[in-house]
Amino acid sequence: MGVIGKRVAYYPGCSLEGAARAYDVSTRIVARELGLELDYLEDYNCCGAMESKNVTFMGTMLLNARNMSLARKQGHDVIVAPCNGCSFSLQRAEYFLETDKSVFERVNALLREGGVDPLDKIPHTYHILEWFYHEAGPQKVKEKTKRPLRGLKVANYYGCLYTRPHFYARTYAHAGGQDEDARPRKRDTADDDEHPYYMNALLEAAGATSVNFEPMHTQCCGGPHSLSDEMVSEKFVMMILQTAKRNGADIIATECPLCHASLEMYRHRLMMKGVPDVDVPAAYFTQLLGLAFGYSANDVKLKDNLSDPLPVLKRLGLA
Amino acid sequence: MAIHERSLVEPERILRKERLVIDGIDVSGDWNLIILPRVINDYDLDFAKEIVNSPDGKTINQCYQCSYCTASCPVHNYWDERYNPRHFIHLARLGLIDELQKRADVMWRCVSCHKCTHRCPKGVLVEEVLKVILRTMAKRGLIEEYPSKKFDKFFTEQVLEYGRIEDGELLFGWIEKQGYKVVKDPILRKPIPFIGETPEWLKQLTMKPIKSMNIGFLILNAKHMLFHPRTKNWNKFKHVLRKVMEEEGALAH
Repeated sequence: MGVIGKRVAYYPGCSLEGAARAYDVSTRIVARELGLELDYLEDYNCCGAMESKNVTFMGTMLLNARNMSLARKQGHDVIVAPCNGCSFSLQRAEYFLETDKSVFERVNALLREGGVDPLDKIPHTYHILEWFYHEAGPQKVKEKTKRPLRGLKVANYYGCLYTRPHFYARTYAHAGGQDEDARPRKRDTADDDEHPYYMNALLEAAGATSVNFEPMHTQCCGGPHSLSDEMVSEKFVMMILQTAKRNGADIIATECPLCHASLEMYRHRLMMKGVPDVDVPAAYFTQLLGLAFGYSANDVKLKDNLSDPLPVLKRLGLA
Repeated sequence: MAIHERSLVEPERILRKERLVIDGIDVSGDWNLIILPRVINDYDLDFAKEIVNSPDGKTINQCYQCSYCTASCPVHNYWDERYNPRHFIHLARLGLIDELQKRADVMWRCVSCHKCTHRCPKGVLVEEVLKVILRTMAKRGLIEEYPSKKFDKFFTEQVLEYGRIEDGELLFGWIEKQGYKVVKDPILRKPIPFIGETPEWLKQLTMKPIKSMNIGFLILNAKHMLFHPRTKNWNKFKHVLRKVMEEEGALAH
């Protein structure tokens, strides 16, 4: 443990400063409790998410390189992002900048032109869950827990881009491919690629019980198409929610503001249509950890969750 | 007789007869099913070259058609069998533009879950390659405007303009683009969520924080909707970004 660094650059992303305020607030609470320091990345820009990359390749490289450059300016080698989309975009840029020299040179030239310091070194990006697991770990969570989440059955939903694809997330060393240099290296701290368990471990350390949620724990929620392709997203979310409910979950723990928003939005729409077994509420895993650390429901902004997990948590005496 | 990968054959090319007699010989039973041959007009080899030349599409030639991507794909498995990443890569490499165009209505359905890329034994960046195929088709005018591209462009324009996105504006802007009548206030031209033709689910969801008296949340989001969050020092960078995107043809039509 302790391989990533206790003090890192924190890239919250657009969503966490707006509708997903609860995730930002609870993340800061958990980091403070676990003795970790988040250095807010000043004046960052959007990572381009899953949308811009379909329109422009070099544009997304530039967007992310600007954020990396800001992190370097603040003296960091490591960026931590709480959003799957943001960490994916940064890691994707990292992959192309490292493996394709022409991309790296072009990006640096363009950064200089845009009035931003060029990259002397490419900082690495980690998802915040990985960082919590490796810098604090379940043991520390157990020590800090004042009000164990006893009796709470959690379905841990990781979403797509936390472990995938291994090229960017570096979840395993790939043997194939013709280009020797393009082969990605596995990161020592990375989660298991098909059966991620870091969130299970942290929440179980806080006293919760994980329900069997495979293979829906990494199933897509509709992601970038949650607004543009409603029928497909609705079906995917229905499958996720029903699997959670039928496996006995009280709550779904999420770790990405986009998955979270998608689950809550379609949960509401499915309930309006009268689809059975979809009424499982969702909460960010940091909110649940915050509750376990003794913070009130108001502190971790549980009211912000549109799926309203408060009744479930109150019934179990946790909020 | 079963047809292997039936979704790859157009229904009108499948002939099935109850009784079939050829030259006086009754061949009903196992031989009652015929797949008519298809006509291929042209191979466009430049198409694959264009894909290989882009930095995110150059792995396309590593593909050996094992179909692990298709087996993993949630859109193929849970939505539409005609969505078949392996087949799209095959067609693109051969340059069978006609065949790709026939599948234009499902080709945009990729949800970017990256199961294909993750599991590919040959190291093809499948998801990226599929997006490059779509992008190349759009650039050549081979595919009509599709919903996800509209959204992607709408999103990217917001990023380009402000440096950051804002959930409310994204949501209501998209609703408006879909043909709902969104009522805007006369001064700042910002959408008002409760009047107009917004869909019922959206109205109910926006009512939730109001009903639960979540004042902090409401103030924050109202503030963001009225004054779009911006990245400082964005202007100079914006010009470079716009220039790069224009070079790629990302802002065209």
